[in-house]
Amino acid sequence: MKKNGFGGRSLIGLCFLFLYLPIFLLIFFSFNAGESSAVWQGFSLHWYGELFHNRLVIESLATTLLVSLLSTAIATVAGTFAAIGIYSLTKKWRDPILVVNDIPMMNADIVTGISLCLFFVAFFHGWGGIARWLNSWQSLIKFPTRMTLGLTTLIIAHVSFNIPYVILNVAPRLRQMDKNLVDAAQDLGCTWMQAFFKVILPEIKPGIVSGALIAFTMSVDDFVISYFTAGSATQTLPMTIYGMTKKRVTPVVNAVSTLMFLAVLIVLIINNIRSAKQARLNARRASFEPVRENPRVERFKAWLTTPRGKLARRLTAAVTCVIFIGTVGFLTAFTQSRPVVNVCSWGEYIDEDLIDEFEAETGIRVNYQTTDSNETLYSLLKSGGADYDVVVPSDYMISQLIEEGMLEELDYSQIPNFEKIDPRFRNLPYDPENKYTVPYTWGTVGIIYNSTMVDGDITSWSSLYDDSNAGQVLLINNSRDAFGIALKYLGYSVNTTDEDEIRAAYELVADANDRGVFQGKVMDEVFQAMEGGNAAIATYYAGDYLSMLENNEDLKFVVPEEGSNWFVDAMCVLKDAPNFDNAMKWINFIASTDSNLRNMDYIWYASPNTEALEQYPAWYEEQYGEELDPEIYEIMAAPQEVLDRCEMYIVLPRPTRAFYNNLWIQLGI
Amino acid sequence: MSKELIRLKDVTMTFDGETVLKDINIYFNDKEFLTLLGPSGCGKTTMLRIIGGFQTPTSGDVLFDGVRINDVPPHLRQVNTVFQKYALFPHLNVYDNVAFGLRIPREAEGPDGKKQKVKLPRDEVDRRVREMLEVVSLKGFEHRSIASLSGGQQQRVAIARALVNRPKVLLLDEPLGALDMRLRKDMQQELKRIQQQMGITFINVTHDQEEALAMSDTVVVMNEGVIQQIGTPEDIYNEPKNAFVADFIGESNIVDGIMRADGVVEIFNRRFACLDGGFEKDEPVDVVIRPEDVDIVSEAEGQLKGVVTSVTFKGVHYDTIVDFYGFKWLIETTDYCPVDSRIGIKIDPDGIHVMKKSKYSGMFGDYSSYSEEYDEINDPTLIDEESAEGGEDEE
Repeated sequence: MKKNGFGGRSLIGLCFLFLYLPIFLLIFFSFNAGESSAVWQGFSLHWYGELFHNRLVIESLATTLLVSLLSTAIATVAGTFAAIGIYSLTKKWRDPILVVNDIPMMNADIVTGISLCLFFVAFFHGWGGIARWLNSWQSLIKFPTRMTLGLTTLIIAHVSFNIPYVILNVAPRLRQMDKNLVDAAQDLGCTWMQAFFKVILPEIKPGIVSGALIAFTMSVDDFVISYFTAGSATQTLPMTIYGMTKKRVTPVVNAVSTLMFLAVLIVLIINNIRSAKQARLNARRASFEPVRENPRVERFKAWLTTPRGKLARRLTAAVTCVIFIGTVGFLTAFTQSRPVVNVCSWGEYIDEDLIDEFEAETGIRVNYQTTDSNETLYSLLKSGGADYDVVVPSDYMISQLIEEGMLEELDYSQIPNFEKIDPRFRNLPYDPENKYTVPYTWGTVGIIYNSTMVDGDITSWSSLYDDSNAGQVLLINNSRDAFGIALKYLGYSVNTTDEDEIRAAYELVADANDRGVFQGKVMDEVFQAMEGGNAAIATYYAGDYLSMLENNEDLKFVVPEEGSNWFVDAMCVLKDAPNFDNAMKWINFIASTDSNLRNMDYIWYASPNTEALEQYPAWYEEQYGEELDPEIYEIMAAPQEVLDRCEMYIVLPRPTRAFYNNLWIQLGI
Repeated sequence: MSKELIRLKDVTMTFDGETVLKDINIYFNDKEFLTLLGPSGCGKTTMLRIIGGFQTPTSGDVLFDGVRINDVPPHLRQVNTVFQKYALFPHLNVYDNVAFGLRIPREAEGPDGKKQKVKLPRDEVDRRVREMLEVVSLKGFEHRSIASLSGGQQQRVAIARALVNRPKVLLLDEPLGALDMRLRKDMQQELKRIQQQMGITFINVTHDQEEALAMSDTVVVMNEGVIQQIGTPEDIYNEPKNAFVADFIGESNIVDGIMRADGVVEIFNRRFACLDGGFEKDEPVDVVIRPEDVDIVSEAEGQLKGVVTSVTFKGVHYDTIVDFYGFKWLIETTDYCPVDSRIGIKIDPDGIHVMKKSKYSGMFGDYSSYSEEYDEINDPTLIDEESAEGGEDEE
């Protein structure tokens, strides 16, 4: 047997290397001074510092802690009583129930998540009817008719998946417990409840604690179930991390992941030490062997039973309780209590300092969420899972939302800064009377290409479908843009409803796809691909090109000669928005010249604010002490002759949208 | 002499259709040390749990001082229990274990006649705990943790914990089962001493007949949910009611006999003088002859003649197995008779005890399988089986 020692050991070594190497790499690079996740550029805590200044991370951390603490507490109590109930059943029932208890733990998270989500949505739907009925015949209590996914559903979901873990840990302790202990306590004068607190609870405490610890780590770790039950306005830390990886994997992600790994590791170590101790104690007890404890431990235990020791124990318990309640209270206050405005926008689409400034100025907390395309936003709103006040969709989506009665008219008297919006961007086709919108940014769609990977300058959309760039082209991942560009290239209008024209556009794209021209479909993933030189050509927005340019100077941008789409993203308020007045304040704040200047500088999208547009080059010079490259300014805020070549999207009639959809599915890259 | 304290009237207990106790009628006197004795599964622990209030009989009444207490929960009964394996609270030290019952607020009538919860003053608790620890000789162990005690010490804590509440009755469920042989002997004495010192009723459950005889004022022999015999240890030993009792208590040779007349019983076609009477003429009976009541004599002088088949040295005496006409007897004798030697025996009239035939006739008293039976008595696993008697499932 011993002969195999070396081979066996090296195999074990390899296994563990395989298990832990990725994590060590992650930890290692979280201390990297540079941005790279592959090249070591010196030690730095820079990313950790950045982490603590990232409001999204801090807020979602608070949410995660709040949800984990509360759900752990509730699940621990519920699970403990459930375990006691199961334990008191006869064996015939107990064993099947314990098996049933295992199933949710083994079940795929995604199934649990989706089923909980469906359950909540169905419940809300039913509740809406009941509440309306209740409100209709009595006016004493006004029941809310509209409920959405949010912190409460998140906590309920976490409680539900945590309970089995508590039961799993408490049940064995109960089984090990001398059955006569409860009898003995009752024999000595306890009622069952007294026996529970005085005898059962101390006996199963180790199980309860380890159950709670495991539930807590499960709760902190969980992504999938949270994703489906948190709704739009609440984000846990894992969800934030996931969101952060969409654009670029910066070492901030490494840093936050490292911290999470360490937190879970610590909890697991504590738990293992506890159970090892407990196992030793049980072995002793079972053998009836008298074992002298360490005299210091013995003395300490003796002291604990003196009146003073008891006082100390009670104080410790009280302080723990106070700390728990305090933490939960603080986190609740931090995440919930202040007046709030829920905003949903695109990723990297705001100078985050503006949010802090607005909060400081108004005392209103901004719950800032992001999504990645108009279509995603639309389906979020339609599913009823979203609870936003302000959304920032693009032109065509706005008209669709208006058409479907999903937007609220704005109160322009509360938005004096609307006056500063350039007349060019008012009363646009999507909102002809300008009752619903305040423009946020505008820009063009064009080709971003890597000049080192492409011969010469690109001037036409043809390069998107050309074999010479096979495998190097990134197709934009939404049907409107992808087919719109093809329509433009073929000389048709982006707003055509002629199915033959649309089919021609589809065939152009499908043919190129069959020839292997496209590397893939991307939205915000385009940042990584283009900055890293992993693709040569992509279609995206001018503003985002300028962000990429900061990280890769070889990139170029062009609005092709065939023309393109120009767009306006505008702030709107959803129907029945719970925080309408706060939404007005937010919109007015963002529409100010100062906000527009800073946003323009941060996200490189052109502002619709006349003053900001005029002042930006001078403002830039003042800020950075150098002149703004006029070429860059022209890409950002396209001159009129470029806009003349471009068309704005108009919402398509429903049959055409369905036609688009079918073709898009057929394409299925 | 002393008054009746607890009475079970027509008590029957069934679990899942299985009758564990059948029409039990028994009373327990004040200040007596009574032992429920029987093999595992005989229902003795169930009877104890019914008295303790942990189980309610399927039918019949439990009376305490003449009052029906069937539905009184355990915590309101003036009865305390020393559990199998003690069931001490592992998270409490010795002192807190003993003080446990005293610290529970009790309902009592206040000065205004209203019922209210009363808590014993702390110094009173302290006084009584220390007093009780002294009774069980555990002074100085107050702050020791339970895990650091030996089995015997834990046993004493369990007794103190129960007695400190000044119950009228102390129930002991196999109290010595978890102790080794030597300690068991010591604790028997100790228990008896404590009982006399406290002057209360002890109801002890055991399957160890030696323990039962050594400690008890009264022994109740049970089997299959039925009381076989109630009596003093001497009665039970000398005048067993049937073959089961005779076999279970001590060693017995039980043979078939015929009562030819008062004072005359025929065994193996030979007539023996005995002291028993009151049977029908020629009634078939069971005859018990204790191994120590048989005298070995020469073959010629013997009332019966047989061949020695095995001899085991036991210290004071030899366990000698003798074959009489195909039936093997155990004889305890100080005379050494080698195997295969032919011997005769004599039995004095007071060494012969005649019993009526019962359902146990013919089941016991043959020593052809002597060694197995002897092992069974010393088999410690039987102690654990006993706890399965509760009727509920067991891991």
